Amino acid sequence: MKKLLTVLALLLIALSLFAAGAKEEAKSSEKIELTFWSPFTGGDGEFFDAMIEAFNNSQDEIVMKNDMVKFDDYYTKLTTALAAKTAPDVIVVHQGNMPNYVNGSLLALDDLVSKDILDDFQSAPLDACRFNGKLYSLPLDVHPIVMYYNTDILKEAGITKLPQSAEEFLAAAKQVKEKTGKWGLGIDNTTGTYKAYTLTRLFFSMIAQQGGSFLNSDNTKANFNNEMGVKALDFLKEAVAMGVNPNELDYDAAMNMFKLGEVAFYFNGVWATGTLEQTAGLNFKASPLPAFFNDGSCWAGSHTLAIPVQKNQDPAKVEAAIKFIDWMTANGELWAKAGHIPTRKSVAEKDSFKALPYRSDYVAAAAVALPTPSTPAWDEVYGTSSDMLEAAVTKNQDSKSALAAMEKKVNEIIASY
Amino acid sequence: MGIPGNKDLRDGILFSLPFMIIFALFMIFPLVFGLIISFYKWDILSSPSFIGLKNYLDLFKDEKFYSSLWHTLEFVLITTPVLLFLGFVMALMVTGKSPLKGLMETVFFVPYIFSMTVVSTLWAWLMQKDFGFFNQVIKLCGGTGVSWLTSEKNAMWSVSLATFWWTAGFNMVLFTAGIKQISKEIYESAVVDGASYLQQVFHITIPLVSSTTVLCLILQVIASFNVFGQVYVMTGGGPAGSTRVLVQYIYEAGFKYFKMGYSAAMSYILFLIIMIISVLQYVLLGKKKD
Amino acid sequence: MENKDYKTIKRVRWTITRVLELLLVLAWIFPLVWMVITSLKLESEVVTREFTFLPSNPTLANYIKAFTSTYILKWLLNSLYISTFTMVLTIAVDAPIAYALAKIHFKGREVLFWLVMAGMMVPFQVLIVPLYQQFNSYGMINSLAAAALPRVALPIGIFILKQFFEGIPDALEEAAFIDGANRFTIFARIILPLGKAAITTVVILSFINAWNDFLWPLIIINDSVKYTITVGIANFQGTHGTQYSLIMAGAVVASLPQLIFFLIFRRKIIDGIAMTGIKG
Repeated sequence: MKKLLTVLALLLIALSLFAAGAKEEAKSSEKIELTFWSPFTGGDGEFFDAMIEAFNNSQDEIVMKNDMVKFDDYYTKLTTALAAKTAPDVIVVHQGNMPNYVNGSLLALDDLVSKDILDDFQSAPLDACRFNGKLYSLPLDVHPIVMYYNTDILKEAGITKLPQSAEEFLAAAKQVKEKTGKWGLGIDNTTGTYKAYTLTRLFFSMIAQQGGSFLNSDNTKANFNNEMGVKALDFLKEAVAMGVNPNELDYDAAMNMFKLGEVAFYFNGVWATGTLEQTAGLNFKASPLPAFFNDGSCWAGSHTLAIPVQKNQDPAKVEAAIKFIDWMTANGELWAKAGHIPTRKSVAEKDSFKALPYRSDYVAAAAVALPTPSTPAWDEVYGTSSDMLEAAVTKNQDSKSALAAMEKKVNEIIASY
Repeated sequence: MGIPGNKDLRDGILFSLPFMIIFALFMIFPLVFGLIISFYKWDILSSPSFIGLKNYLDLFKDEKFYSSLWHTLEFVLITTPVLLFLGFVMALMVTGKSPLKGLMETVFFVPYIFSMTVVSTLWAWLMQKDFGFFNQVIKLCGGTGVSWLTSEKNAMWSVSLATFWWTAGFNMVLFTAGIKQISKEIYESAVVDGASYLQQVFHITIPLVSSTTVLCLILQVIASFNVFGQVYVMTGGGPAGSTRVLVQYIYEAGFKYFKMGYSAAMSYILFLIIMIISVLQYVLLGKKKD
Repeated sequence: MENKDYKTIKRVRWTITRVLELLLVLAWIFPLVWMVITSLKLESEVVTREFTFLPSNPTLANYIKAFTSTYILKWLLNSLYISTFTMVLTIAVDAPIAYALAKIHFKGREVLFWLVMAGMMVPFQVLIVPLYQQFNSYGMINSLAAAALPRVALPIGIFILKQFFEGIPDALEEAAFIDGANRFTIFARIILPLGKAAITTVVILSFINAWNDFLWPLIIINDSVKYTITVGIANFQGTHGTQYSLIMAGAVVASLPQLIFFLIFRRKIIDGIAMTGIKG
């Protein structure tokens, strides 16, 4: 009997816990409460949190609640919620991921945003958010890949002028290695916490710099298995084979080595700027991706803000969400502290933005930034290409056959969607 | 031995019911859902379209499926024997006469209580190529750093090493249980007959813990086949996809590549493989024991 | 003489074995020590070529950051909540079925056993979407209960309990039966009290399991205030770039409660599993 009572008591506790967990909500206030998901954790997250706080303090109609989810699992969570139409009021989506979400999961914004606001956006990043003629999100930033270089090392190596071509880069890297014993280049080429996306980003950029493109014009076939692809891959391989770029270098290690002043030229997205600026004892400069070949075309991503479709869409919340998105993009100089490039013309004019180092140069880079190919297959293509480029570079595979294999694989992937 | 009264069926059902309700809701239902989905092309967000067996046929042509399955097998083949061996040896140590046995038992088991995330980030940090503890010490001793996680040759072994540390203690506890049930008299008479320690281990302990061994083996194989977390955190499946295990591919296919049907089909193949292997182990080894 | 030599050899061997054992213990515990040491350093002392073993300027900065800039205390509480909930329900559902599988000879027992086992073999990733839709239809998204429920049926728990119950002599039950007891009284009066050790083990295992669960709570819980500690500290990892000292501090905080829990019940868990084998 005593046991039975114990069991009953336990069940009661369980049930009360259950109930406590189930009943929620029931807060009342005149303010509109919005929820928001973003994948910014760690360093980026601090800049972003500050921005949300500034928004909440800037007005008293809307309270925005930001819930961050670690990037690795952000899209898993988002997709699951979107499928059940339980996603929050505003979300961050990378422009490259949008093709997967524009068929009914996101609200079309064309009639909701005023023309004045739309006209203030740079046209390239804004147009990238249009699918099938409709606007599904507004760009918060553009984040191209750029070059960082350590001025102390360059001085020590006697390099006074930045290299202007792929050959000159290899030569300069060699000079750095010989004169200082440090690494000329720090291009990460191995999967660690992150995939070796930098390889794909550079490869992607370098093909464009020669007038080509990674995929064909309607994004149905690979378009890199040619002379341009070979030249680009050769450069990436050469850097490792010559011993001026560490082999088996992962993303975190590359970043840390540049921070410690062991690498002369480092390539990463603009998002690294904020972190590098906070690094004591590091003297560096940043510039848009140099023209390894004919021009400075560069890979870029873009964080965009979108409004998910809800089971019962509340017009008041949608209106508030638009206000929020407007504010966030119109105050892009706050986000620019992390390194990201604002997308509103008016922000580029602000003194507080101009006062930030490098960022004005970045705006030029954003102008030649390449949008992510618009295909639902992109994530798989991107990941697979990175794996295959990683193998080609770290194992010094023959460029022609590596690219042929990669072309076959990429075409298979696109065909499977 | 049943109890007379012939209410076995009723009682069996009644006692199983609470579990079965939970199990049906949160396991069987989603599983059936998954099975159905595996016959569809479904991107999670739009409505699924029926494609029959296409997902299953596709995966037999998918090199990435084979390579991922192979990496999983590799992990199973590395970790299962080592973890059984480690667990057994640890169990011998903690059931022996050592004054340290209590301490050892606690210390060997402790890693098991830590979460996958903690264990994986900790070991990724210990094995970090430039600043990690292992390589710093190797360099202090005049060696050159090892690419623990960034070379294809080592990565799977490094992840396995972390797994040994994390889970060996659990097997130890199971083996300890097995060893403790062997009666002391058997050992005593063996000592009288002049048997050495090793002889005792090989001729008494190992044969008499065989049922525990079977139990450990089955549990270990299941756990190792489902490996994902520690690989994902420590190597991200790299370098160049060389440690991508099947569950990682299942996860990516479903949630990153929006091929939920395909992902479900792969899950079912994995499930089938584990099921067949477990039943085989149970039937073959279980029989031998009797 | 020979006897004395033999004794010396034996003593030397004893000492060497103990020293080896001690070294092994130290090696095994070392990663945890390193976790704590790293968490007490500044990041600039962590990511550096100049290796230091102990922190040259021990600092609590990482812990202060963890406690002031996150809901870490709330997360710990949530984890405690979910783990307790899981633990209680797990025992309530696992113990009866384990008894049925061990002692009741009913038709379909083997099938049922394999069904339970099958629960361990399923890759969880395939269950995420259907489970989420299901909880959505119950209106339970973003609730702690939803984070716990799918983990309640713990097959390994059934396994351990079944093993243990099988070891309880049938004669005890038969005697009780002759005295007029039915299954339920036998279960409550004989099996449960005798199975205390195994039950403790399962209780603790399910607690640890729930505490460490990551992917499911991450998916089902939306408010960062409601995160479990395991989900919460994962956010210490940056979007771009890893800060080891901070992550290690988070890991220490996340693991400390369960470490304490374990050390208190250490004997019970280990003995519990060890007593699983009274069966002859």
